[in-house]
Formats: sequence, structure tokens, C-alpha cells
Amino acid sequence: MQETVLLPLIVALPLLGFVLLGLWGRRIGEPAAGWLASFLVLGSFLLGFWLLLQGGAKWTLAEWLPGIPFSLRLDNLSGVMLMVVSGVGFLIHLWAIGYMHGDAGYSRFFSYFNLFIAAMLVLVLGDSLPVVFIGWEGVGLASYLLIGFWYTERVNADSARKAFIVNRIGDLGFLLAMGLLWSMFGTLSISELVEKVEAGGYSFTTLSLAGFFLLIGAIGKSAQVPLMVWLPDAMAGPTPVSALIHAATMVTAGVYLLVRHAFILHGDAFLAGSIVALGLLTAFYGALCSLGQWDIKRIVAYTTLSQLGFMFVAVGVGAYWVAIFHIVTHAFFKALMFMTSGSVIHALGGEQDVRQMGGMRKHLPITHRHGLVAALASGGLPPLAGFWSKDAILAYTFEYGPWLWALMLLASALAALYSIRWYVLVFLGEYRGKAHPHESPPVMLWPNHILMGGALGVGFIGLPYVIDYKNFLEPFLSKAIGEFPHEKLPVWTEWTLIIVSALVAIGVLLWGFRFFQQPLPQWYARFQQAALNGFYVDMLYNTLLVNPLKALAELLFSADRGLLGGFAGLGSLMGGLGGLLARLEAGALRLYLLGFLLALVLLLLWGVLR
Amino acid sequence: MIWLLASALLFSLGAYGVLTRRTAILVFLSIELMLNAAALALVSLARLTGSLDAQVVVLFIIAMAAAEVAVGLGLIVAIFRRRETTNIDELRQLRW
Repeated sequence: MQETVLLPLIVALPLLGFVLLGLWGRRIGEPAAGWLASFLVLGSFLLGFWLLLQGGAKWTLAEWLPGIPFSLRLDNLSGVMLMVVSGVGFLIHLWAIGYMHGDAGYSRFFSYFNLFIAAMLVLVLGDSLPVVFIGWEGVGLASYLLIGFWYTERVNADSARKAFIVNRIGDLGFLLAMGLLWSMFGTLSISELVEKVEAGGYSFTTLSLAGFFLLIGAIGKSAQVPLMVWLPDAMAGPTPVSALIHAATMVTAGVYLLVRHAFILHGDAFLAGSIVALGLLTAFYGALCSLGQWDIKRIVAYTTLSQLGFMFVAVGVGAYWVAIFHIVTHAFFKALMFMTSGSVIHALGGEQDVRQMGGMRKHLPITHRHGLVAALASGGLPPLAGFWSKDAILAYTFEYGPWLWALMLLASALAALYSIRWYVLVFLGEYRGKAHPHESPPVMLWPNHILMGGALGVGFIGLPYVIDYKNFLEPFLSKAIGEFPHEKLPVWTEWTLIIVSALVAIGVLLWGFRFFQQPLPQWYARFQQAALNGFYVDMLYNTLLVNPLKALAELLFSADRGLLGGFAGLGSLMGGLGGLLARLEAGALRLYLLGFLLALVLLLLWGVLR
Repeated sequence: MIWLLASALLFSLGAYGVLTRRTAILVFLSIELMLNAAALALVSLARLTGSLDAQVVVLFIIAMAAAEVAVGLGLIVAIFRRRETTNIDELRQLRW
């Protein structure tokens, strides 16, 4: 691992794009701004890849905050994340050149997009927690700016605020964790923390509490139950934003944070249990909600929730490298799914309701191929990317407990179901709308081709040990995450699990393929109504939290106004009295003189009589 | 003692003039009358007590009155030039 000044350059490139496009975006103009932004991200990707091949890098600025250096670190874990963020980010940038064509805020969009990439890279590369926190807040800011990108409509601005405010709860957890770790170890550098935790000599309960606060931070960013409500609304932003920030990269930051701190979490039964429970809840909640949505982007948003739940379960059962593996495969197939949806939306002139879609197989043959691969990969059809990472999670949950494996199998069956529902509603049947669909331009098709390749093949870097005894990813990541030895399952159990999960995926995909093409039965319609509203969680939060707080605020506001009104009344009373006195001043000189004399007489009288 | 009475008389005359006259010149003149009444009272009190302190004050009053006449008359002339009148009932623009 070398000390190199090239490392901050990785972050600086997209940041430069943000500054350039932010200052002179209008002058740079339409396609140029998009290409500039894309190639800066590509530059980060190539630079990061080169440094990773050199065996990692680090860079430290010793004089930053008193006692806290500004340090970046590119090891295998952050390297994999860097590849995902800048690689998938580059493809989505390219795609956005086509998607955002003709938008009034074209260059503004790309400057925000570059800001996001820069902040995300800081988050990923940061080696001291405050640096990670800068990235953490930076991606939150970029997410806020991009959700509310079309801010002239109130709904979009409200959604942006909602995302930002809900994330604050998680950020509080992150801050508390930082404070606690600082008071325990006197350092916030992750690589130093690893050593100090290993050395021992501290209270395990306190460390567990710090881990719990980190978990709260991760829940907020990764939209787990109970803080998941912001993610579906975040779809108000343009589709590339949903693909990049709210599917492929930013929402996985919470998972990344937990994996980075595996040394704190590992072996803590309470933390592991809560992470598993939250992940499981989220996986089911997301899957069930997705089955009831009509808005194409909300369908995909809820599927993201469900997949994030899978990642959390992976972290909870101690399968840290698998969580990262799933982040990688998920980035490919979910970005592809979103961008296919975006291509369809683009083709239909902004239509997002799947009831107005259908039959896109005939109209958009190339996009149809992308959509098919995305749905199958997301549904876990072997041997596509999603299958391998999901299977790895399932294998680890079986070690944790067969009951958990059974539940996760059910969740992945639901995952297959929602993927195929999305595919059927969009691509099969007859076209139900009135627009004239047209295939996307090459600048939107090529990124999708590459992502499709990823969704097909990226799973092969993490094959289970029964097929590929030493796969590429596990030893590669373990170098950075730390070795957490565990009993490998017997060969036959492992094979059984693989075959069962493959059979379930194929079975459910086939069943769903038929089921969603027929008229839906009564019970499904009822379920759909509840799922469409996200099982009324938003309503519950509004009644329990938002409205009481709002009422309190109104009360305080009116009290405030009453108090201030009192002072204002006093002021105007005095003003009125003054006005009365001012009337005496009428310019009548002799009246004044009379006043003088009277006053003189009175004074004299007072002096005499006293 | 008689001079004190004369001073009071003079003062009252002045006060009466200030309140009843409408021409600025005459009001001004009445004010001078009151000023001199005060000076007269001071001088006679000085005589009664045998102290020179009050006479010093009178010298000050005379000096001040000279300056005041110069400024006051100047103002009145200036106002007359602009407004063609020195009637203080008409000069009531300086008001709230």
C-alpha cells in the first residue's frame, strides 16, 4: 500500500466537474456538459482501477482537525465500492446524456451528478470517520438536490425535504457513534480503531452501543424499516438519479458502513439479531409493497428496499463479503432495471403508470432484451448475477438458523414474483396507452448493453465453494474486511440449497409469468390496495409523529405570535399616545409661549408653596 | 425694593406683549423687555445684598442679548423676504 497524492485526485476529478459545470454550465451547453461530466467520472474509474492494481493506496493530511488527520484509504473493500460507484456511475452518466436531452436544467443536472459521485467517493475512501461523515452528508445533499431537481412542482420539493429530514435521524446515530468511539479510543481513524478493538481493554457494552448507533446511521441511509419511508418518495427525481443514487450506490452506503465496521459488529449477538430482524422486515415489506404499485418507478424503488433488506441480513449473519457481493450484482441489475424503466418512460413521453404501458416487447425490442435480463437477474434465475449473490446469502442464513433460511427463501420467492410482475406489466400484452413509442438513442442503449453484460456475468466472481473452490471475491475482500472464519456447509447441504433456491426462483418466475397475464383475482386486488399505500405506514407515521409535532409547532408558533403581539401592542399604544401629544405641536407660536408662561407660573407657585 | 416691583411690572408687560402681539418684531421686542426686566431684578438684588455676583450675571445677559438681537432680527428679516409677512399666526409651517 503506497502513499500517493493520486488518491485525492480520484475525488477531485468529479468535484472539478461540479465546480466547472456549476459555474459555467450554461456556457458549456447541451451535449458538452454531459460528456464532460461522464469522462471525469471515467477518469476517476480508471485512476482508481490502476491504483487498485498497484495494491491499494493511502493518503493522509496530518493537519486537519486537531487530533484527527484527513485520511483516505483505497484497500480491497473500498476498491470494490469505488469500481461500482464510478463504473456504474459512468454508465448512468452516459445514459443521462440521452435521457436529460432538452431539459432546461441540463448542465445543472450534471453538476449535481458529479457532486454526488465526488461525495460518494469520499464516503467510500474515507479512512477516518469524520471524513466518511463528510461524504455521508455530501451524498445526502446531492440526493436532496436531485430528488427536488424539478423543484417547481411542490410534490418533488416535498419529497426532497422528506428524504433529507428522515436521513437526519440516521445521521444523529452516526454522530453519536463517532462521539462514543472517540471517547473510548481517542481516535477516529478506522485502521487504528481495528487495532485498538483487537487489543482489548475497554467495555464491550459500550462498544456494542457504538455499534448500535452505527446501525441507526446505516438504517437511515439504507432505508431500512422503520426509516424506509423516504425511498419510494425519492422517485420524484429524474430516472438517472433513481438508478444511480437510490438504487445502485447511495442506499448501499449503510451496508458498506456496517461491513467497514465488521470488527465492531462481529460476535455481538444482540446487534447481529437486530440487523437480521430489520433486514428481514425490510425485505418482506419492500417485496409486498412492490407487488401493489402502479407507478413503474415506485415498483422498482420497493424492489430496491427488498434487496437492501437482503444485504442487511447478510451483514447480520456475518457474511460481510457476501453483502458487498450483493451490492455489486445489485448495482448492475437494479441500475439496468431502472434504466430500462427510464427508457420506457422516455419512449412514452414521460408516462410512468404501468397501466398505460404493456406490449413494449414489440415496440422497443432492444430495451425489451435489457428488461428481460434485469428482471431475471433480479428474480434470481441461475446463472445470472442475482442468483449467485442471493444464493450466497441464503447459504449463510442456513448456517445462522434453518428458520431464517426458510424465511429468506420466501422473501426471494417474492423477489422473483415482483421482478416478473414488472416485466409482464411493462413488456407483455397489448400496448394500453396512446403515445407513439420509439426506441432510445444509442447513447442510452450502449450503457444498458454493458450493464446487461454485468447482470449476466458479474455473479461469476463469487461462485459458491462447491463449484469454484476458491472464488475471486471472498479472499480478495477478506483482506480488507478481516478474516472471520466459519464452518463451511457440507457439500451436499450446499448443493441442496443451491438447487432448492434455483427451483424456487424458476418456479415462481414461471408462475408469476402466467399469473400476471391473466385477469387478477379478487383477493389480489384487495391486497394490492393495501400494498399500493405501502401498508399505510406513511399514514401511521403522520398520525403518530408528524401531525402531533406539527400541532406542537403550530401551538408554539401561535404562542410566540401572542407574546410578540403583546409587545407590538404595547409599542403601538405608546405610539398612539405620542400621536396625541404631537397634535399640540400645531405651529401656533403664541400657544407655545402661553405654555412657557404657564409652566413658569406653575414652577414659581411650586417654589413658593413648598 | 421699588426696583424689584418695577422689574416685575416690566416683566408682566413683556409677557403680555409676547402673548398678544402678532407681529414677530413686536413679540421680539417684548421678549427683550422681559430679558431686561430680569436684568433689572438682578441688579436691584445685587444692591440689596451688597454682593457683586449678580451684576456679573447681568453683564453676561447684556452680551447674550446683543448676540440674540443680531440673530433674531436677521431671522425675521430673512423670513420677511421669503414670506412677505412677519405675522406669527400665519407662520405655522413648522409643525407636526
